[in-house]
Amino acid sequence: MRMKTTALLSAAIAALSAGTAFAGEVTWWTPNFNEARAKTLVEKFQAANPGITVKLEVTTTDGLPQRVLTALQSGAAPDIVDVQHGWVNGYAQNKLVLPLDEVLKDREDYIPAALEYVTWDSKLWGIPYRIETHAVIFNKGDFTAAGLDPNKPPQTWDELVAAAEKLSTDGKSGFAITGGGEVGNTIFRSLPFMWMAGGGIISDDGKKVLVNSPESVKAVTFYTDFFKNKLSPASTLENDGTANRRLFIAEKVSMYQSGQFDVPSIKKENAKIDVGVMPIPHPEGSKTAAILGGWSLVVPSSAKNPEEAKTFIAFLAESDSQAVLTDTFPARISAMKAERFNDPILDVFKQMLPYGRPVPAHPRWVQISQAYFDGIQRILLGDEDAQKAMDGAAAEIESLL
Amino acid sequence: MSAKAETLKRPGLGRPLIIVGSVLVVVVCLFPFWWMALSSVKTLRELYTIPPIWWPEAPTWDNYRKVLFESNIPRYFLNSLVISIGATALALVLAVFASYGFARFNFRGKPLLQSFVLVGQLLPTAAIIVPLFITLRVLGLVNTYWGLILVYMIITLPLSVWMLTSYFKAIPVELEEAAIIDGASRLGCLLRITLPLSLPGIVSVLVYAFVTTWNEFIFALCFATDSSVKTLPIGLAEFSTEFNTDWGAVMAASVVMTLPIALLFLSMQRLFIGGLTAGATKG
Amino acid sequence: MQRQSTGYLFVLPALMLLAMLIAYPVAYTALLSVTDNQGEYVGLENFRRILAARATPIAFWNTLWWVFGSIVFQVVLGVLTAILLNQNFRGRALVRSVTLVPWVVPGIVAATTWAWMLHTEFGIINYMLTAPGLIDEPVGWLTNGRTVMPVMIAINVWKMFPFVAIMVLAGLQSIPNDLYEAARIDGASFWEEVWYVMLPQVRMVIVAVTLLLVIWALNHITIIYAITRGGPANRTLITPIQIFRTAFEGVQFNQAAALSVMFFGVAIVVVFVYIKTLASSGDQP
Repeated sequence: MRMKTTALLSAAIAALSAGTAFAGEVTWWTPNFNEARAKTLVEKFQAANPGITVKLEVTTTDGLPQRVLTALQSGAAPDIVDVQHGWVNGYAQNKLVLPLDEVLKDREDYIPAALEYVTWDSKLWGIPYRIETHAVIFNKGDFTAAGLDPNKPPQTWDELVAAAEKLSTDGKSGFAITGGGEVGNTIFRSLPFMWMAGGGIISDDGKKVLVNSPESVKAVTFYTDFFKNKLSPASTLENDGTANRRLFIAEKVSMYQSGQFDVPSIKKENAKIDVGVMPIPHPEGSKTAAILGGWSLVVPSSAKNPEEAKTFIAFLAESDSQAVLTDTFPARISAMKAERFNDPILDVFKQMLPYGRPVPAHPRWVQISQAYFDGIQRILLGDEDAQKAMDGAAAEIESLL
Repeated sequence: MSAKAETLKRPGLGRPLIIVGSVLVVVVCLFPFWWMALSSVKTLRELYTIPPIWWPEAPTWDNYRKVLFESNIPRYFLNSLVISIGATALALVLAVFASYGFARFNFRGKPLLQSFVLVGQLLPTAAIIVPLFITLRVLGLVNTYWGLILVYMIITLPLSVWMLTSYFKAIPVELEEAAIIDGASRLGCLLRITLPLSLPGIVSVLVYAFVTTWNEFIFALCFATDSSVKTLPIGLAEFSTEFNTDWGAVMAASVVMTLPIALLFLSMQRLFIGGLTAGATKG
Repeated sequence: MQRQSTGYLFVLPALMLLAMLIAYPVAYTALLSVTDNQGEYVGLENFRRILAARATPIAFWNTLWWVFGSIVFQVVLGVLTAILLNQNFRGRALVRSVTLVPWVVPGIVAATTWAWMLHTEFGIINYMLTAPGLIDEPVGWLTNGRTVMPVMIAINVWKMFPFVAIMVLAGLQSIPNDLYEAARIDGASFWEEVWYVMLPQVRMVIVAVTLLLVIWALNHITIIYAITRGGPANRTLITPIQIFRTAFEGVQFNQAAALSVMFFGVAIVVVFVYIKTLASSGDQP
């Protein structure tokens, strides 16, 4: 009863505030790193669709999830928002965004994992436009100095450890892992190792806890041992991806996992480094893996002009538009042909894409990954060994499923 | 005049203690700030060296150029100024009256109301953002100066009321009683007697409200999405993109953000000096 | 002696504005805490879930440490600084202004600058300690389970003791001169003057400021959130950060609301008891 009154009231409020928005105006929130590219696309779209005006509002990456959630939750959202793939599921489960199946054309032109990410309850809740995975970035000069062949980087776990040991001399660290910053940093870098070993945090259907299975523990041990054996910097527990890049640029780290977005800033800030890229090493006899990351476009349930928004999204989803808008790779295979993706340094990152997998879709994924991350930190702090920490995480995750 | 001569004769801390204490306070307070200023003239390369370098080899003004000419910082500066001044003024007026009421009157439910004033301060920020956003939307104040000014009452008003209440209480009530016998109204008492006597307290509240609103981040982030109302802390955040933070520019912007407010205090602190109340009660 | 109604008139404008801004959020939070994300009534389910979370008791104890540690040092250092700044010496104006700098620096800037200085590898503090050989190896200030909370408290003290100092200083300056004169006639030494004249006179200020500090320590999450986000392994997780993370990172607004209600309840009781105690111990001048 009370619920109904509230619902009615908020509907009335929504109707009231809708009156203030101009028909045919689409407000689009895009992050600051997209600003310039988004502007060119808006101009192109408006030239072709004089009836619709697009109002671009630039968001900041710091605090973006909070801000988007506040807007979605309060019912005063823009018409289109750029969000990371991983957030879309939470929005969909809370009915904060609209399904977009009708907007998606050429389904087969998309990397399947990208669509999987934004699917919930067999409906599509976002249009992916950008994807990326990690690879291992390494310093070729360090390889040569340590007597390793920079053209034959390690392929298996054992080779990676051996190389890291050789590279860890003179205050340098061979292979930097992350153990700090936002949870996502460490998930992106350690979960692929668990997948390669046949483990995971939870099963894909979200029903089983895998985090303390022998395979998972083996991968976690492999990951955290880089720190325990001093192959990763002393500051590992406070380092996120950016910090690792900083250490790489300062020539204190020889190898670390990251995406292609790191390469230009390395080249700009320390031109001396000869940057190499290799696929993420895997255990003997299995395949590599990586987490597929990236961004999607969503239409909030409280959007004032959802129809116009969908028209604009359909335009942004076109192959040519995706090739312009993405900061890394486009989610569409045909868009990959564009000139800007032809740089040879991108080859390995491109090779990694087919091995990219979405993180499991679960309503409580954020808390699950937090429980796992706490376990990793307990290992790195030396509080618990890998098995005990993962058992603890498993108990916590079990209660969340 | 004679008061000044007497102050000099007061016993005080020994000179060595004063010197050691002052140096310690200055170093502790300034070191991070100094490091921040130093970082703002370093190039990105020099920022991330191991071991860190004390003095940049080639100080660069590039970060300041970026902040002042290539970003929205000047506009945000103006927004911050308008919002902080507005919020400070509103908080001060409301707080003066409320504090006077609490300090000079006994009425039913006073402790309850006094606690209520603090309630807003105790609400966890995360819990009130969404409902506040809805409130602002109903009032049509999202993305307006007034929206942020009103919201800032939640964080400035309670403490302003508390501070001023304790100041007003410290002022001898006899002064006012004398004035009332002479036929002054309560309002007249407040404006002509209590207020001037609590100038140090007023200034403290002023500085407090201004600094708090000037530096506030979360509310501004959520309630101001248009660059015509965004404030400086949001501007700072805008130097961070997904995988990169322009630390040189952040440090430069921090300096730009901090200097005016430091200067504000420098000019205000003259008002602290002189023991105003002391002089008045003597007469 | 005073007409009561006049008192209400004075306090009404501020109270009404606050009521407008607070009533709805409180009601909304209360409603969220007993419903699920579809708006269905679920009783105390959210409370049960959040209380069962492994992090909740950890956060509770951390919060106690954080508040208690911060307050003690803030007040002691603040009062000492105020007494120092109340002295007559050359350059006093400058020292007073400088003292305020930590408080003036935006929280987010202070947090990042300190994190920057404390970084194990790039940090100037480890360099200052290792270069002259004071310590052999860089200390992981923010990554060592034993140092991280004290470091957070130290940063919070650094940020807030100036506020105590300035408030107490303003209080010291409104002490009537004749009180000092009386003390001087009795031949009081400086420290006796501090103990018998200054401290009793600024007692109300200290009491009020302490309450404010408690409230701030409970609710200002910028420093911890910006530096460690509650980590490593929840070593610096305090309840408000847990609420923030549950709501905005975990998208569990209902559980976050349940935790908020409990946090809020405890905080209200603490404040109310504090005020009651004050009211009974010589409230009126």
